[in-house]
Amino acid sequence: MNPTEDQIYVIIFSTLFLGGLMSTFVVAMVFIHRQRQAQNRLKMDQVKSEHEKTLLNIENEIQQETLTHIGRELHDNIGQLLSLAKLNFGSIKPEKIAEGRDILGQAIQEVRGLSKQLNLDWVESISINEFIEQQLERIQNTGFCQTSLEADFELIELPKDQKLVLIRVIQESLNNAIKHAFPDKIQIRLHENGMRKQILIKDNGKGFDSSQKLNGSGMFNLKKRMETIGGEFYLTSAVGKGTEITLTLPN
Amino acid sequence: MDERLIRALFTAYPLNTFPLYLLQIIGVICFIKLPREKKANIHYLLPFFILSFTFFYETLGAYLNYNHELKYAINAYLGNTVYPKFNLFLFNIANRQIGTILYLILIKSWLHPSKKKYITWMIYIFIVLALVLQITGMELLYLQQPIIFSIGANMILIASGIYFTGLMTHKAYLDRNPLKLLSFWQVTSMLFTYTLTYISSVALIYLYEVNPVLGRALSNINTVMTIITLGVLTLIIASPLLPNTFEKEPFYESN
Repeated sequence: MNPTEDQIYVIIFSTLFLGGLMSTFVVAMVFIHRQRQAQNRLKMDQVKSEHEKTLLNIENEIQQETLTHIGRELHDNIGQLLSLAKLNFGSIKPEKIAEGRDILGQAIQEVRGLSKQLNLDWVESISINEFIEQQLERIQNTGFCQTSLEADFELIELPKDQKLVLIRVIQESLNNAIKHAFPDKIQIRLHENGMRKQILIKDNGKGFDSSQKLNGSGMFNLKKRMETIGGEFYLTSAVGKGTEITLTLPN
Repeated sequence: MDERLIRALFTAYPLNTFPLYLLQIIGVICFIKLPREKKANIHYLLPFFILSFTFFYETLGAYLNYNHELKYAINAYLGNTVYPKFNLFLFNIANRQIGTILYLILIKSWLHPSKKKYITWMIYIFIVLALVLQITGMELLYLQQPIIFSIGANMILIASGIYFTGLMTHKAYLDRNPLKLLSFWQVTSMLFTYTLTYISSVALIYLYEVNPVLGRALSNINTVMTIITLGVLTLIIASPLLPNTFEKEPFYESN
């Protein structure tokens, strides 16, 4: 074999080698792509099932909260109305009987209102603003503290899953404020921060050291829940200075 | 019509020209049939332009092999009096320089917006290097340009690598089947074209001198790979007319 032949062989084998290398590269790319695709699909399924689980938990919790509310209403409100109606019907005076009839009518209306809350259909018909108003009104009516709502926009068109999560997170944030912070005032503000909509829940209660990690607490759960719908949960608090929760809505 | 043009069109290099004519005719018909907004879309317009441009310079190259006066005159104008029969100047400008830039732009059109800047820089660097090499006389326009070819080929290989990285990492690509993506086949065919012709292109003159049969055989690889690449370009142009055959390309603004 002379040097010229050697060089020709080098050229041929180099070309074949590069061709082989590229074939291996492309086939490897397709295999890796397939693998990543499968991993991605698995991850997506996991995220989806976690999302569904979270939504189910939220629905259960909202129903539990609703049942507690209904129980309280039956005992404190409707029970009282029925007792009063019974007393009025026991009287021989016609005006008392008429009053009893009115009270009975009022009780029937209250029962109708409560029955609507037993399933979660109300979630679809109510806007977040209306829900917040109801919650704040309920707190105010108990005489626990003063409440106020400021809204720069009306949150109506939201997907059901986002609405459920927001309702639950707002509900839980308000419950926490009442149970642990004992504030004189709770303020909620709906405003736009740049391109994103935010809900600010602020109380002037006793506050806590928010520099401590949230892991394991209810707040951590709320944060995770906001993240499942692509939103954000941010909490700032200091001892004696109240608590401020910022819920950033998904785009 | 000039008789030399007719001879160049129909008798010169049937292996090169007839598949090219066929692809050009299919490409033109498909492009005409495309809706107006797709005609203006770079993802269809650029493949059509590359196909038509290739058809133009291949035909012009074949014509110059019959119109010797014109070829000699251009060579003389460029200062090539030693090899007046060469029409490498056309191949160098159209295929190795403009062609490389067009293919880089084509790959760029499939990349995620965050990756496009790398290709833009590669194009600028390629243009500057090609100009510097030619102006300084290191690589003459009318002779083989192995350095410019290898720079261009390496850039195409790097751009293909960037495309494949996106294919494996970006969610939009992970949702799709690459075997049904025309961009995948286009990049693969370009990858093979530039890889298989890398050595033979750099050592072509040497091969023709030492073993002309082998030289021609290796240069045929380039012809076949070019036709495959142009075939995929034609499929890209025709893809909106073939619904459910291929998957939608990610990062397309409007298709």
